[in-house]
Amino acid sequence: MTDKIPVTVLTGYLGAGKTTLLNRILTEDHGKRYAVIVNEFGEIGIDNDLVVGADEDVFEMNNGCVCCTVRGDLIRIIAGLMKRQKPGAPAFDAIIVETTGLADPGPVAQTFFVDEDVKAKTQLDSVTALVDAKHVMARLDDSKEAREQVAFADRIILNKTDLVSEAELVAVEARLRKLNPLAPITRAERANIPLDQVLGLGGFDLGRILDINPEFANPAHGEPGHVHDEHCGHDHHDHDHDHDHGHAHAHHDHDHHPGARGHAHEDDIKGISLSLDRPMDGTKFTAWLDRLLGEQGQNILRAKGIIDVSGEDRRLVFQAVHMILEGDLQREWGANERRWSRAVFIGRELDEAALKAGFEACAA
Amino acid sequence: MKSMYDAQITAIVFDTEGAIFALGDGSVRFEDGAFSAAHDGAILCAVAHPSGTGIVTGGDDGRLIWHRRTDAGVLATSARGQWIDAVDASAESGLIAFSAGKTLTVLDAKDAGFRRDFQHERTFSGVAFEPRGRRIATSTYGGAALWFARIAEQKPTFLKWAGSHTAVTFSPDGAFVVTAMQDSQLHGWRLKDQKNMRMGGYPSKVRAFSFLSNGQLLATSGAQGAVLWPFVGANGPMGREATEIGFDEGSLVALVASQPKHGVLAAGLNDGRVWLADPPGQGLNFLKAERGAPITALAMSPDATRVAWADEDGNAGVSEAG
Repeated sequence: MTDKIPVTVLTGYLGAGKTTLLNRILTEDHGKRYAVIVNEFGEIGIDNDLVVGADEDVFEMNNGCVCCTVRGDLIRIIAGLMKRQKPGAPAFDAIIVETTGLADPGPVAQTFFVDEDVKAKTQLDSVTALVDAKHVMARLDDSKEAREQVAFADRIILNKTDLVSEAELVAVEARLRKLNPLAPITRAERANIPLDQVLGLGGFDLGRILDINPEFANPAHGEPGHVHDEHCGHDHHDHDHDHDHGHAHAHHDHDHHPGARGHAHEDDIKGISLSLDRPMDGTKFTAWLDRLLGEQGQNILRAKGIIDVSGEDRRLVFQAVHMILEGDLQREWGANERRWSRAVFIGRELDEAALKAGFEACAA
Repeated sequence: MKSMYDAQITAIVFDTEGAIFALGDGSVRFEDGAFSAAHDGAILCAVAHPSGTGIVTGGDDGRLIWHRRTDAGVLATSARGQWIDAVDASAESGLIAFSAGKTLTVLDAKDAGFRRDFQHERTFSGVAFEPRGRRIATSTYGGAALWFARIAEQKPTFLKWAGSHTAVTFSPDGAFVVTAMQDSQLHGWRLKDQKNMRMGGYPSKVRAFSFLSNGQLLATSGAQGAVLWPFVGANGPMGREATEIGFDEGSLVALVASQPKHGVLAAGLNDGRVWLADPPGQGLNFLKAERGAPITALAMSPDATRVAWADEDGNAGVSEAG
């Protein structure tokens, strides 16, 4: 009972395909048992022994931090679920939390960092957002929660891709990428994605921040420092243009006109990628990050970064959810590795120029 | 007596005959070996039956069950099978109260036809009878609610304090209500004037509290030692300092157990040890000195002569306290 139970959060609005995905996870022949926490009034038809209804009981902590909200129902349910666990023979191997389209993912995630009992028994693995390729644009337009769920995710599954054209997919992906440059986007039909792209992602694990997802620190196309690597997902050979599009694919078409919600669209939430090729002053950087999260943590949904600290052979890795920050010195830089600092902040009303100036002012 | 179970022990209760263990696999084990498997799922909470015989358990199957050594029967079920996660009972009034979601349900052990359901605005998590068993306190977000146990239509008195309150108890004289909070502190109210009492300074959440010494002391877990708050006179702990006994830097007191009329305190530690202080403040007597998995359940018999404990790995024992 010393191993922490991994917890995967699935977000997405009604009709995005969460129940299909959930049933695929539960019925696939993997020999694992899951406890599933669903919304009390949510979709039915989940094929599992252990399904618990949650009631979205969000509350504020009394620690003076206004964005420090947690889910009281999750605290209670996880405490109750842990009572089923047997010494040496677990009643379940992992917990999957399915939220509604209206749920704010912040309190769900923060529960796993703030509550000492939940933290002692479980480990938040990742947040996966499921979106429906056909309806996501309209949802992103009219729903703050839909934008937040995409922005918050460690992985985005773009489902029902068979119902739209390639050009529409490219436009959707461009918009998703601007909302969240950290999360890989996986295309799917009928939620047919490999389970290892949903479970065991280690989205909050500092040690795995780069290893699983090197593209996240790659500034967006058109930004200085962007590296076209195998994760870009587009054709490398003809990439000398400089406009700010998203990730096109093998047949990508520079002339497409994505329409009103395409390039011209500005969401209130966006991801800002920062990088610096000179080493940073560790003290200055830590002070800057603490101040930034203290002042703007309410608006910052997620942040991740790897920093090249002057005089330090190891990489400083951090991740944050609102004001909750975790940072540590991880493995040493490789002998032939490019030493550079990069960070991504995803949030509302972020001042890109000020963030860039603040980040660069931390140079040693 | 020592035993080992293949499920977690989630609660221990003493009735007039001995210790009764409630398990995470839904079964109940009596100290004399009797067995009852009535729940389909885990037992989340338990209390001694008001009659003094047997245990009343609430489960994640939404059932409230009274188990005796020879038989068991369902007393009530929750709406839509919601988890029953808190239960209390009063030998004085013969009533049983339990929580499921936002509903507080009151039953009468002597009248199978009696049932009251009281709705809260939000989910609540703790239930406690006032010593005479006529009122019930519940803990919820933003404070504690006070209900009259038998009145069908009523609005509760709400004792306000910002934050999430996760457990509740009454002082044995009925003058104070104390809650444990999400934020590693206690909060108290003097009922006659609803004066607030902040009782903080804990390094960890308070999972258990229990009155002893005729209600003059409230013992709590949540620190490196057992914390004792003085409840003497009309002011209770207001303006007074708590004391800590059995301080050990390397461990935390996970649970405490005592009986209001007796001056003996038992504590279960997160390193698996169990001690007894009789009286508190004059040394510790280790009932279980070997370290192991954290203590997850602890109870003291009504006459304060025996202590039962269980750890996270399924080990359980009953020790003589005298």
